[in-house]
Amino acid sequence: MHSPSRRPARRALTAIAAASGLALLLTGCQPATESASSTPVAGGTLTYASGDAEPTCLDPHVGGNYPQALLAGQFLDSLVSRNSEGEIIPWLATKWSVSDDGLTWDFTLKDDVSFTDGTPFDADAVKVNVEHLKDPATESSTGYLALGKVESVTAISDTVAQFTLNAPDSALLESLSMPWLAIESPAGIARGMEENCQAPIGTGPFVVDDWVKQDHVSLVRNEDYNSPPADAQHDGKAYLEAIEWRFIPDSASRYAALQAGQVDILDNAQPDTIAAAEKTTTLAHIDAPRPGASNRIELNAGAAPFNDPAVREAFIRAVDVNDGIESLFFGSAKRSYSPLSSAESVGYSDESLFTTDLDAANALLDTAGWTARDADGFRVKDGERLTLDFPVSTNQSIPAEQSLFEQIQATAKQAGFDVQLSLLDLSSWYGVLAENDYDLVSAPYTKVGPDVLRILYHSDGIVPAPSGYFANLSQVSDPQLDDLLTRASEISDDAERADLYEQAQKIILEGFHILPLYDQQNHFLLGTQVKGARSLPTVSTPTFYDTWLANN
Amino acid sequence: MTPGLQTTNRVDRSRSHRVLRWLLVRLGGAAFVLWAVATLTFFAIRLIPGDPAEAVLGGPGSQASQETLDQVRRDYGLDLPLGVQYLNALGRLLTGDLGTSYALKVPVADLLSAQLGGTLILAFSALLVAWASALALSLWSTGGGRIAGSVGQAIELTAAALPHFWLATVLIAIFSSALGWLPPVSTGGVLGLILPTVTLAIPLAGFLAQVMRETMLDTLDAPFIVSARARGESEGGIRLRHALRHASLPAISLSGWALGYLISGAVVVETIFARPGLGRTLLQAVTLRDVPIVTGVVLLVALVYIVMTILTDAASRLADPRLRTAEGER
Repeated sequence: MHSPSRRPARRALTAIAAASGLALLLTGCQPATESASSTPVAGGTLTYASGDAEPTCLDPHVGGNYPQALLAGQFLDSLVSRNSEGEIIPWLATKWSVSDDGLTWDFTLKDDVSFTDGTPFDADAVKVNVEHLKDPATESSTGYLALGKVESVTAISDTVAQFTLNAPDSALLESLSMPWLAIESPAGIARGMEENCQAPIGTGPFVVDDWVKQDHVSLVRNEDYNSPPADAQHDGKAYLEAIEWRFIPDSASRYAALQAGQVDILDNAQPDTIAAAEKTTTLAHIDAPRPGASNRIELNAGAAPFNDPAVREAFIRAVDVNDGIESLFFGSAKRSYSPLSSAESVGYSDESLFTTDLDAANALLDTAGWTARDADGFRVKDGERLTLDFPVSTNQSIPAEQSLFEQIQATAKQAGFDVQLSLLDLSSWYGVLAENDYDLVSAPYTKVGPDVLRILYHSDGIVPAPSGYFANLSQVSDPQLDDLLTRASEISDDAERADLYEQAQKIILEGFHILPLYDQQNHFLLGTQVKGARSLPTVSTPTFYDTWLANN
Repeated sequence: MTPGLQTTNRVDRSRSHRVLRWLLVRLGGAAFVLWAVATLTFFAIRLIPGDPAEAVLGGPGSQASQETLDQVRRDYGLDLPLGVQYLNALGRLLTGDLGTSYALKVPVADLLSAQLGGTLILAFSALLVAWASALALSLWSTGGGRIAGSVGQAIELTAAALPHFWLATVLIAIFSSALGWLPPVSTGGVLGLILPTVTLAIPLAGFLAQVMRETMLDTLDAPFIVSARARGESEGGIRLRHALRHASLPAISLSGWALGYLISGAVVVETIFARPGLGRTLLQAVTLRDVPIVTGVVLLVALVYIVMTILTDAASRLADPRLRTAEGER
């Protein structure tokens, strides 16, 4: 009778002892297992742990979000890719040319590629894919927008696909490099949405074998693969036999599973686990910031109080961002002073605009008429408190970022700003934005190339889509900026394009429309047995074509 | 009980009448609960911000065109007045049709039948472990003197107050990361079931043990125990044969509630241990405003809860003859 009684007590004691030693044990080192050779070994199954949401449809044409892109890169190829220098390189298309008026593009295609269902890859397949993306019934969002200027595609021959545009598009190649516009088998598309969502068919190095909802997607090797992008490290089929793609939403469990060897690689690594992993010799870290915009706080210039540039500047001068980033991200995130990601070669930074200066902030607010302070120390004008509504999406802002926003809230208070943070789920957050009920917001935007600036800062972006969504959340409306962005999106010369984008970025930064924080964070942790894994320089999704497992 | 003088035949008939009436009342109640749950879910999910048409179009923040949105609203009947939508939904439910998921585009019934097993296995194993630990704990704490009593009480209170997410994280840190004994995320096998089960079972065991110990202590002072002692029964025998039966009564009737508690706990536990199941399905569906799935999961959980309540009620009647007679006089 007494023996079972002691067990809980003993268990509790063990728990207390173990928990107190936890920090040490978690970071404890194990001897490294260095592989003797660096020659790739074929075979084995890679287990991937994704912390992103499980896609609702594996076809990235439908909707078009990042979780879909992560998976699609394993079984779909695109027409073109991008190398680590930011240059567009051949993939399924070997070369391309554009007419002088910029309205006609000819893509020459690889002539020996087949989809994994046996359908040949040719110019007709490209035409079917573009039509699929542009068909409202496909319910495409990302791909549909990216093809906005494409009127039609004609198959000139089996290996030449001609794109006809209604306006010049300097971002066309960048758009086509994105996984949301990857090429699928026409026969696969013809099966209809329900079937195509379960297992889209591509030309990629792996094939979707099975999708067990809420658990995993099984991918097996495409034994006939012959269409890697130009910057791949080898030819022919992939080294790995299979990939088990698991969905593990909790960051701590994901990391524990990596430590226990249950998984080989994980995404969405959080700052604390990155710091822990960097102290080990058995784990490696891939830092792959997403392209497009940086992570930044937008100041809504469309309504009071931020319709006054002085108040915008005062806010930016008042808040202290660097200390927060340093302490909360353990050095895993580098401060940005640009609207664009560091992955974009034309990104322009100006650190001098973002130095913290509380006195300057106070002076600016005094001049702007916010002279009085209420009992709580917040500034008041005409009986109105200087309140800033800051809706935060718990789906898009990681815990470290949410804490950073709290620190920003605290430092802004010193200048008399009353920042009201509200944590919301994704639907509610979009709802608040659609109702224009915000002063500050942080909304990531992933896209290949600087054309993201046109989406985010052209005044057209203030007009809401039928769902209420609009991309220009800082509500910048500046004819000069609009003109620069439109011209940049049509110009063919790279140097002129870069110059126009630099001028545009200056206007955004000097108008104090945004507070850049850091690149859109995208970290992978992997066991050192995983060799040759890298992120594609398009939207920074991992690719496992060149990957092999040592000691498998 | 009055019919003491009537014939055995009449007693049997009136007993079967009572059982029948008990059953009818239960079933009527069950139907009412299911209707209320369906109605509440239908309106509640429309009160929170977010357009169900966007769930069809790949989630919130969709940039779908007006014609696409219109098409979806027509296809799914979302353009009809809310009252008509409600009656339509109710009509479909009456024919047993749970509809098709907005986001996943597959029948809800298929999805739920694939996910129910995982959650029920988790919930029942947790219930079993919780029952066994609570039983052991309360037997020890009521029989081991004053120190055992207060230690037992402290363990119960602490266990009952532990939140699932904290417990899960600590258990993973100890048994997976530090000791390496158990896998931190689900493996599909029994090993992967241990940590999620224990996570769910510990707080529940605390609740159950509290209830059991208090009833056990009350019972041990009851006159029939005194007379059993006087008959020379051993202390262990008294507690196993007499007191335990009484102490288990409130715990049995709590088990229906406990299962509901476990299924709601499954939302957290399935997410942390990456187990497929209803909890994770529900979480994803709520985020996406996938109305058919949310309704389906809530109805299913309500149904499990109702069945469990009827079963525990029946079990209480079996364990406690007083309930069978008292019912007839009401």
